[in-house]
Amino acid sequence: MLVTKSDLEQVLGETLARGGDFAEIFLERRRSSTVGLEAARVEKVHSGLDQGAGIRLLAKDTSIYVYTNDISLPGLMKAAATAATALKQKRSDPTVVPLTTPKLDSKDGVDNRVDIEDQVKLVQIADKEARTAGDKIKQVLVRYGNLVQDVQIANSLGKMVMDHRNRHTMIVHVVAAEGNIVQTGYESLGTCNDIFLFTPEQAQKLAAMATRRALMLVGARPAPAGRMPVVLAGEAGGTMIHEACGHGLEADIVGKEMSVYAGKIGQQVASELVTVVDDPTLPGKYGSYAYDDEGTPAEKTVLIRNGVLETYMYDLEWARRQGESSTSNGRRQSFQFRPIPRMSNTYLAAGETAPEEIIAQTKYGLLVKRMGGGQVNPTTGDFVFDIAEGYLIEQGQVTNMVRGATLSGNGPEVLLSVDLVGTDLGFGIGTCGKDGQGVPVSDAQPTIRIPELIVGGLL
Amino acid sequence: MKEENIVRTGLKLAMATGAEAAEVYFMKRDNLTIEVRSGKLETMQQSCDQGLGLRVVKAGSIGYAFTSDLSPTALKDTAEAAVESAQYSSLDSSAQLPPAMRFDSSLVQFDPHLAKTPLEAKIDLALAIERSALSYDKRITKSERAAYEENDYTVLVANSNGVQVDYRNNFCGGYVWVVAEADGDTQTGSSLLYATELAKIDPVIIGQEAAQEAVRLLGAKPIPTQKLALVLPPQVATDFLHILAAALTAEAVQKGRSLFAHQLGNPIAAPTVTIIDDGSLPGGINTAPTDGEGVPSQRTVLVQDGILQTFLHNFYTAQKEGTVSTGNGVRSSFKTTPEVGPTNMFFAPGTVSEDELIQSVDKGLYVFDLMGTHTANPISGDFSLGVSGVLIEKGKFTRPVRQVVLAGNIRDLLNQVQAVGSNLRFYLGLGAPTLLVEPLTISGK
Repeated sequence: MLVTKSDLEQVLGETLARGGDFAEIFLERRRSSTVGLEAARVEKVHSGLDQGAGIRLLAKDTSIYVYTNDISLPGLMKAAATAATALKQKRSDPTVVPLTTPKLDSKDGVDNRVDIEDQVKLVQIADKEARTAGDKIKQVLVRYGNLVQDVQIANSLGKMVMDHRNRHTMIVHVVAAEGNIVQTGYESLGTCNDIFLFTPEQAQKLAAMATRRALMLVGARPAPAGRMPVVLAGEAGGTMIHEACGHGLEADIVGKEMSVYAGKIGQQVASELVTVVDDPTLPGKYGSYAYDDEGTPAEKTVLIRNGVLETYMYDLEWARRQGESSTSNGRRQSFQFRPIPRMSNTYLAAGETAPEEIIAQTKYGLLVKRMGGGQVNPTTGDFVFDIAEGYLIEQGQVTNMVRGATLSGNGPEVLLSVDLVGTDLGFGIGTCGKDGQGVPVSDAQPTIRIPELIVGGLL
Repeated sequence: MKEENIVRTGLKLAMATGAEAAEVYFMKRDNLTIEVRSGKLETMQQSCDQGLGLRVVKAGSIGYAFTSDLSPTALKDTAEAAVESAQYSSLDSSAQLPPAMRFDSSLVQFDPHLAKTPLEAKIDLALAIERSALSYDKRITKSERAAYEENDYTVLVANSNGVQVDYRNNFCGGYVWVVAEADGDTQTGSSLLYATELAKIDPVIIGQEAAQEAVRLLGAKPIPTQKLALVLPPQVATDFLHILAAALTAEAVQKGRSLFAHQLGNPIAAPTVTIIDDGSLPGGINTAPTDGEGVPSQRTVLVQDGILQTFLHNFYTAQKEGTVSTGNGVRSSFKTTPEVGPTNMFFAPGTVSEDELIQSVDKGLYVFDLMGTHTANPISGDFSLGVSGVLIEKGKFTRPVRQVVLAGNIRDLLNQVQAVGSNLRFYLGLGAPTLLVEPLTISGK
């Protein structure tokens, strides 16, 4: 426990001393280590400690947020007073419900970090594996990151929880070149709390995949441009569902009427084949947690069921404003940020068609085996994302690999047009950025077919 | 403990733990962010954070650790962690810290009016931005948010070679994101403006720019695939500068991931293009007496009339090549070592106004917004971006365009810059005037 219950009750009381409806304190201690390797040299071995507290005060539709590194009682009381003063009301006697902690599964500081020495070994294994591919490999970058985050969250409704999150990520970036053509292959893997995921074999596998992709891209031809059917393979990862649909279902964007999905609960917003779920309870996934960053126990939320919009993703603030309950999607990058509605592990649920059947049924089009990053304008629904590995489909067969392609389209239109959904489900990880905050997420989808998308390539 | 004492203690502890050379970087930052919507204060954030990073040299290797817990115990743990991490890093003959150098203290960018201006006036500024956007055109129906933000930060750098730097900077700015609606179509527009002086933040301009973009995009539709000249206004041109910046660092060159490696003295852009990095630029958001490791800030011409002149260096990359640092050991926080990066980087302006550039185009696209710039590949220079904008026909804006894709390579784009406007404008640390680019393929219907 970072701060005692009685101290927190005092801080929450001070926060509400000049009015307001809800006070919350988020305490965090994060120990991190990163190991970088580039040009076969281990470098950027960093470790660090960051701690602090964020105090939030809600009053009607206004939200006040104050944070500090000083988590001593005087430091917290000072921050609480700053928040309270911002409301500019007279001092009163606030009611703070005594804090209670849920008995079960509140994890308080279990230390199971991986040693830096082990991390150094893993990045060296990955580097060695990539370099076995020969002299077309021009550069190998490997990065291992570990973040052990202990949080303690308490609010004026009497709730206090603790959560321990041990996140590991490894990324491998391989640069291959032949003549004038330089291409990169990228692979990443991440987990929350599955500390047995990163074995030497796994490091090798990751490096081999990145290397294979970089080498293949060097020999690939430029992608075609124009409108065509696109098959997104399950192993491509769920960037599409995250960008094209997920962001527009976040309650703050909906509440500000900035989402194409605002006011559409109960309506058919996607093809009947489409069910979209957000689930932070999946064990070991990169976007998983036991409690969200407002202390709400993690729960699975079906957002779209058989094409019908069922609910949005809420944090406490937007649930309060809209008369709903939090769906455990209140997340923040760190104590330096106020929580906002965010995705966790988001996926389009598996369907009934065999993936190979989907390709066989496609006369001409593009098969996307791996997606890169993407971006969406949630107000118009327009999105764009990068294809890291793509192939042409000709006469129901996968033929040549293509490079340099981007998909562009409109989220709601795409979801309505999905005409085949596969039986597989493949996950990808990422850091999702919104309002300047990055949070770890994963996303997944089965193989799906979209009858028409704009493929941007070189002519 | 006072800041100077913390720094001195950190340095002493690192040396006592066995470091042969050590550096302390301390940063303390106060931030205020005010967001308003529909004429009301929606969120207000006030924060203070501080911490230090310890860089050590031990047995020919570099180690690094940081902490925001500044208690004596935490400082001792951090010194030990830094020395320990050095033992895992590869041996490096360039593992050294900069010597003490003379610097210009007057490069501090500090506006005393920021602290003296009451909170109400800052809330009013955010409200004025929103009002300006909403009153620009009746088709502007709402704002997602309008905001005012300010940062005030103190930096101390000291190392065992005698480097001793201490300065305090501040800056502020505003932004807005609005929605225009008409005939069942919805479009968005945004604008931002940051400066080192409060007086330079004009709420009316910020609001108008965002509103203008949203309204001009109403009714936008995809167009057939074709080649179009591109007019890139400052904000869009800085997106491309951002993609370029990494390739102009000596670190990228030394590690074989710059597309401009081996190009020193060669043309890498059209003769219209001059690119400058200037850490001593008056009024620049990133202007400061020194960089993040105590090397004096300076002006560096990277590309002159299309010819590549030099790369950006920090002390480490300069040591590796036997040259001198350009003062680009950049740090955004105490949590990182000084990385090679731009300070205030910009395309030098030309003499033609934006209007004249537009009038000179027979068939082209004025680009309002790029999507997916973070997916561009800085190593190969390949990009493939979603584009929205307005079609230019015979020198005039005609119809709005969305959902088209611009794919290409940054090298080609640089070589096809036909003309450069006079309207240099900075977006935080990156600046550009409007650029006119010879026809490139736009993929659409």
